[in-house]
Amino acid sequence: MAHLAHYREAHPLPFVITHWINLVCMFLLIFTGFCIHYPFFPFFMSMARGIHVFCGFVIFINCVVRIIMAFFVKAAPTGGTREQEVDIKMWLPQKDNRHQALEWVKYYLFLRKTHPLGGKLGVPQKISYLLIPFLLIIMFFTGICLWPPLANTGLCLALLNLVGGPMSMRIIHFFLMFVFIIFCFIHLYLANVEGFEPTKLMLFRKEHGGLTYDPKKHVIDGEDLMGHGEEAAAEPAAQAEAAEEAVA
Amino acid sequence: MTRSVIDPITRIEGHLRVEMEVEAGKVTDAWVSGGCYRGMEHVVEKRRPEDAAHIVQRICGVCPVSHAHASSIAAEKAYGITIPNNARIIRNMLEGAQFLHSNILWFYNLAALDYVNPINGLSADPDGALALAKAAGTSTNTDFVALQARLKKFADNGQLSIFSGNWFDADGGEAYKLTPEADLLLTAHYLEGLQMQSKASEIAGLLGGKMPHVMTLIPGGTAFVPTEQKLDDLKMLIKDLKAWCDATLLQDTVALAPFYTDALEFGKGCGRYIAWGVFEGPQWPYDNDYTKQMANRYMPSGVLDELLNLSEPDESMITEYVGSSWYKGSETYQSPYFITDGEFTSYDVTDRYTWVKAPAYGGKPYEAGSMARILAAYQRKNSTIVKMVDQLLADTGLTLTQAQSTLGRTAIRQVETVYIAELMEQWCDELIEAVKGGDSAYFETPKTTTGAGTGFWEAPRGALYHSEKVTNGQIDGYQIIIPSTWNLAPKNDKGEKGPLEQALIGTPVETIDKPINALRTVHSFDPCTACAVHVTEPKTGKHFETVTSPWGVK
Amino acid sequence: MRNNTQSFDFELALDARGVSRRSFMKLCGAVAVAAGLGEAAAPRVAQALEESVIGAKTGSLYPVIWIEGASCTGCTESFAQVDTPDPATVVLEMLSLNYSETLSAAAGESMELAKEQTIHAGNYLLVYEGAILEGWGGQALRVADKPGTEHLIEAAESANAVVALGSCAVNGGWMGANPNSAGALGVQQFLEKNGIKTPVINIPGCPANPEWLVSVLVDVVMMGKMPELNGEGKPAGIFNQTIHDNCERRGHFENGEFVYEFGTKEEALGYCLYPLGCRGPQTNSNCGVTLWNHGRSWCVKSGAPCVGCCEAAPNDPGHNWVEVNTPFRSRHRDLRVAGITFQPEQPAYILTAVVAGALVIHGFGMKVSGRMDGGAPFEKVRRWDAKHPNKSIGDYGNIETAVAAQEALDESLKSKKGGNK
Repeated sequence: MAHLAHYREAHPLPFVITHWINLVCMFLLIFTGFCIHYPFFPFFMSMARGIHVFCGFVIFINCVVRIIMAFFVKAAPTGGTREQEVDIKMWLPQKDNRHQALEWVKYYLFLRKTHPLGGKLGVPQKISYLLIPFLLIIMFFTGICLWPPLANTGLCLALLNLVGGPMSMRIIHFFLMFVFIIFCFIHLYLANVEGFEPTKLMLFRKEHGGLTYDPKKHVIDGEDLMGHGEEAAAEPAAQAEAAEEAVA
Repeated sequence: MTRSVIDPITRIEGHLRVEMEVEAGKVTDAWVSGGCYRGMEHVVEKRRPEDAAHIVQRICGVCPVSHAHASSIAAEKAYGITIPNNARIIRNMLEGAQFLHSNILWFYNLAALDYVNPINGLSADPDGALALAKAAGTSTNTDFVALQARLKKFADNGQLSIFSGNWFDADGGEAYKLTPEADLLLTAHYLEGLQMQSKASEIAGLLGGKMPHVMTLIPGGTAFVPTEQKLDDLKMLIKDLKAWCDATLLQDTVALAPFYTDALEFGKGCGRYIAWGVFEGPQWPYDNDYTKQMANRYMPSGVLDELLNLSEPDESMITEYVGSSWYKGSETYQSPYFITDGEFTSYDVTDRYTWVKAPAYGGKPYEAGSMARILAAYQRKNSTIVKMVDQLLADTGLTLTQAQSTLGRTAIRQVETVYIAELMEQWCDELIEAVKGGDSAYFETPKTTTGAGTGFWEAPRGALYHSEKVTNGQIDGYQIIIPSTWNLAPKNDKGEKGPLEQALIGTPVETIDKPINALRTVHSFDPCTACAVHVTEPKTGKHFETVTSPWGVK
Repeated sequence: MRNNTQSFDFELALDARGVSRRSFMKLCGAVAVAAGLGEAAAPRVAQALEESVIGAKTGSLYPVIWIEGASCTGCTESFAQVDTPDPATVVLEMLSLNYSETLSAAAGESMELAKEQTIHAGNYLLVYEGAILEGWGGQALRVADKPGTEHLIEAAESANAVVALGSCAVNGGWMGANPNSAGALGVQQFLEKNGIKTPVINIPGCPANPEWLVSVLVDVVMMGKMPELNGEGKPAGIFNQTIHDNCERRGHFENGEFVYEFGTKEEALGYCLYPLGCRGPQTNSNCGVTLWNHGRSWCVKSGAPCVGCCEAAPNDPGHNWVEVNTPFRSRHRDLRVAGITFQPEQPAYILTAVVAGALVIHGFGMKVSGRMDGGAPFEKVRRWDAKHPNKSIGDYGNIETAVAAQEALDESLKSKKGGNK
């Protein structure tokens, strides 16, 4: 066990809610999207279309709300701390992450043994999370261009002509869905591969102990076991000591 | 020596120019120029045979069904499949509806204005027109008094509409020879013809979704599945149309011909005829024997020499020469794969002067069309055709040799129209019987996706040839030789002129800027110029530009 | 431009009409001389002769010039199938169709003359059918010894409006499909390129449904107004809806009842053709309402899936119905990259499968490296910090010890990595 402590301050309640909305909408959108693309479920088409359009609007509005909230809702700048800063700072480059991009890649390619230090989001993670709102907005507009009630309005017609008509727009919408599917795969995988604690915190606000981090010094400064078993706690400490001995 | 030019030729399909050298009131030399290049074979390259069947129809809005048909046959040969019997019948009917449409439209609405002056009908006695109709035994569905009133209203308004710039005054006012009563009668049939061609198209629309450019004729059979609702519509439409054709077409022809017997003296052409055959025969299928299949069609195949001796078609005898046309090089290419790229130089009748290439069979130009089909069927002793042709010749007092002329070519097409109307009725009954008997096969899926095939077929304008090579379901070389390419061919490598050029030589021309007899000769071929112009590609397809944008051409 | 009296100056008349009329003017000159009027009177003679060619210049019929460009005549053919009013009524009692290559009694020079006079008289509508071809300087289409492009420019300049009839006229149609060897494009784009401001009404379709044309004619001729057009210059009432919206088989689509193969029982039952590649959902047109050939049928009714022939972006010949919709039987168009054609599904599913597979393999790696339970231990010092102690990001306390420890750790990592491989 080497992770930082999972405190609620990392994911304040408004973000838990928007995350839940994203999760539900994303699932429904992909599912109903496939139903629309392969319309072979009997007696479900109009419902699938209704859900798809509804969730499309919800996820778009949710995305806009989430972006606005980033400017005034506070969240922890890294794991392992209860201090909070305005959320937008975590969207922008953080000092904690400087020079660590390559290290993250190396870590995931098993080219290094230790976990790189960083902000709340690692560098690749931060880049992909920054892309998602843009992709969501593009996705929303490609969807709107395919939605008959709006497809013949000025903006949609212009966008349709830009990409080469409804067929091309449909293909772009279809491709983008796979970008989201791939994102979801990677997101789910990375969030859970080192344990389910991040998921429990994100979805159910369930805290879990671990190392603590000083966001001002940008270093790990201790441990907060939050009442977990002593044995479990002793283990990493012993490991650390052993490592130090080996170094010495 | 004077040059007489008709450009544009109207009441045809596409853009055609005819230039003639006139000496002592007769054409001594002629050059026929097709004016439009579109690049069809390029477009179907790397697409699927199923797509090609839809796309190639767009060569021609008058005979789209034939192109879809020929393309589908080529694909079926490449795919190694035989279409079900029901599909054969439905496709025959679809093709037949188009032939009826095309032939009626051509006779009454395109060619007729070379012989009929509707304005002259204003001075007719309606009773006389009715008497004339009864004497000729032709149909009298129109109220001649009302028609005359309608024409008078039109004339009083003063705007000439489609009669703007007419040639009714050609040859010092002597070119249009009908009596006012005959003009009124045939003007009535002009208007009825307009409705009847539309009714024929309605049959094609019922079977094919829409006409022009039908949708159900696809490689493997047909997408059309007859239901009771559709079958009764079909039967009644055919019945109405056939009744009109039977009562009108040949009777009008016999009534019209005596006024224009001078048109028997010119317009013979090369005197050799080529037909691939159309309407698949009743002993379907023919066990992969293509020659037998073509010979047993309702309108059978046949290659006829100058003495009208018939031989079976041979694909390897077909060549195309590009030295008189706006394409690179001056070679003669042999079927089925040619290499050509368009390259406009200038209009020069001593060098290159057309977008149409010069196809040849055994090195010689051949005439295609209704005349060729009728003669092939006649020489094969098709009993209905022999009977009808003999009857027409008897009624007009002509011989078969005389029929090879501008007027003969114009008249004989009606024989075909009436014959097809009769076949339509047979096929409809045959289909109803088949459905009643429980035959429910309409479509066959491909057995392979790699192969090559040729579709020998006929458009209303004559012998039509589509060939394609298919690799993994994608077209890898496509080639089309269209009836009007045969007829409108320029000078070939041996210096022999194309059939229409030959037919024009000897045609009398009185008014240089209104050479009405030349126009009659051109129309007798029912040319289809947009079809006639095409490019062909090597089977390698390497002459194609590689398009790097995944969205295609920008 | 060529209105009124002064234009009948001899030079101007010649100039305006171009060389193709040389022989006509020669004839007029000859007539004038013969009549004792002298050569200079030729233009007046020309005018007098001209009047007789199209008849009265005004009247109860609306003058129309119908030019066929690079067309298959299918749209004219389609017009001949119009249900209400029938074509004869249109050309005898509604329009004065002074120029139509398929229907006019005239031919050759007198035909071109009828067109020139109609243009000169003004207040006419131009119907243009077929594509404009720019290949070989416009010589890919030659009419009356001139490139087709010149004919369009002459006729469009003084027209009240141009109806671009059929998908070819809207954007080049199938001729614009790869490789577009004849240089096809649509009327609107061509006129814009040549600075001609005449309004264009786009009626796509292959062919255009004649009822659509007639509805536009009713607007222009009988109501004296332009039809309401959408952003692409197409009549909004016709093209602001999809085939799918009004399809007679839509109910079966909703019910999940489909035709999976041609010529089957499902087709006889009238089930939905979507699995056979129907382009109805993304094709804008009201075919299913207007129907074809006297309302007898339409593509879907006959059992054929829509191929999207009304798809045409006026300013982009590459966005034509063939390029956008082939292969017609597949769900998507084919994409072309470096000469290879493929369906968009293929790369999408392949990429997703590759990513999923990579994650599974990566998961085994995580398991083997013992990172599944909380991940690897954190680094004590950032590597970069260790190398740049003066610019260190983290405040590690005694940095020198920390750096030394880090360097030692690196050494041990290197040796272990070598061992692992």
